[in-house]
Amino acid sequence: MSHKTIAATLAILGVIASTLPVNAHHAFSAEFDAAKPITVKGVVAKFELVNPHSWLYIDVTGPDGKVTQWGFEFGAPFGLKEKGISKKTLTVGTEITISGYKAKNDQNFGYAVESTLADGRTIKTGGAQDAPAVQPAPKK
Amino acid sequence: MNTLHSNALQRYKLQGYKPSRFKKVGSALLLLLSVFTFSALTSTAEAHDNTKIPRLANGKPDFSGIWQTTSAADFDLEPHSNRKDTPPGPGIVEGGEIPYLPKALVQRKKNFENRATDDPALKGYTLGVPRTVYYPEPFQIFQRTRDLTVVPQFGHSVRTIHTNNTEHPEDPNDWWLGDSRAKWEGDTLVVDVKHFNDKTWLDRSGNFHSDALQVVERWKYLDPNTIEYKATLSDEQVFSKPWNITVILYRHREKNFQLIEDYRYTLDYDQYYPPKPDQK
Repeated sequence: MSHKTIAATLAILGVIASTLPVNAHHAFSAEFDAAKPITVKGVVAKFELVNPHSWLYIDVTGPDGKVTQWGFEFGAPFGLKEKGISKKTLTVGTEITISGYKAKNDQNFGYAVESTLADGRTIKTGGAQDAPAVQPAPKK
Repeated sequence: MNTLHSNALQRYKLQGYKPSRFKKVGSALLLLLSVFTFSALTSTAEAHDNTKIPRLANGKPDFSGIWQTTSAADFDLEPHSNRKDTPPGPGIVEGGEIPYLPKALVQRKKNFENRATDDPALKGYTLGVPRTVYYPEPFQIFQRTRDLTVVPQFGHSVRTIHTNNTEHPEDPNDWWLGDSRAKWEGDTLVVDVKHFNDKTWLDRSGNFHSDALQVVERWKYLDPNTIEYKATLSDEQVFSKPWNITVILYRHREKNFQLIEDYRYTLDYDQYYPPKPDQK
C-alpha cells in the first residue's frame, strides 16, 4: 500500500468519523477528554433519568474529608433500564464507583463508561458511540 | 324537548286523565313546560354551551383541533407592566403572586436577571407542562377514546395524555413533559401530571420548578371553539403551597390553518445542511 493510498484511506475514515456525532445526540469527544481517564467513588446525590443523556451527581469525600460533588453523564433512560438501572437502583445515598473520562473543561464533570454498584454489579452506563473503553486512572 | 313532552303525555295517560280534560290541562302544562325548558336551556347556554360541543363516539368531549391562547402569560405568569422585552399582562395566577419558598425566590430573581440567556425555550428545549399550553404558538390535539396527543408547534415534542384509566408508572423517568394520566369529571378532563425533570421554566421571566413538580389540569369547553384551561401547580421544593392558573384557549378557524415546524435547536447547524462540499 502506497503512502498515497494510506493517506486517502485515513482521509475517508476521518470523514466517516466526523459524521458520526450527527447520529449521536452529541459526541463523547465534544465534551470529554479521552486522555483523562478517571475513577471516582462516591454516594448518589441526584439521578436525572432523562433523555437524551441521563446525569448522575455524586458526593465524593476526598482524603482530607472534604466533600465535592461530581456530575457524570450516563446513557439514555431506555438503555439504562435494559441494563437494570432505574431511579430505584440509584436512590440518594447509594454507593457507586464510576470509571470514565473527565470533562474537557476540567471541572468536576465526567463521562461514565462503567459503573460498579453497591451490590458488586459492574454495568456499562455510557451510551456514546465514540467513547473509548475504560482505562485505568493514573495513580495520584 | 319533544321527548320531554311525550314523556309528560305518557304519564298523564297512565294516570287516567280523559282526553277532553287533558286537552285543557295538557295545553297549559305544555306551555309551562315549554317556558321552563326554554329558560333552562338558555341559562345553560349562557354558562357554557354543552349541547353543541364536539364529542367522541363515547360521548366524551372531543378536544381535537388547533388551539392557542391570546394571553401574555408566557412572558410572565404574574401581573406585570411592560418591559423592553415584554408586553404588559394581568397575569394568570389566581391571587396574583406565586407562593415561592424564600430560597426559591432568590433563584427566581436570578433567573429573571438572566432571562435573556437562560430561558430554556430560547435554547429550543421542550417547553414542559403547563408552558406548552400558554406558549404563544399553536398546538394541536388529536384525540381518541384511550388518549389525547398534544403536539406543540414549538420544538419537537409530543405529549400523550392517557385516558384509559391507567396509573402513573411505578418506575418513572424524569420526563420533560411529565407523565399525564387523566380522568373525566363530567365534561371536564382532569389530568394529573408528574415525574418531571427540573430543566424547564414556567415562563420566559424565570418562574421555575423542581423535579418534584405536580400539575393537575382541568380542560373544559366553554363553547365549541373555546377551552377553559385551569391548572394547580404544587412543588414542595419550590412553592410554599399549591397555586392555580387559568387561561382561555381559542380554536384556530382560519382556512387551511396548520402547524409549521418550529424546531430551533438545530438552527445553528442549518448552514451546514445540506452539505456543500465545493464551498469550503
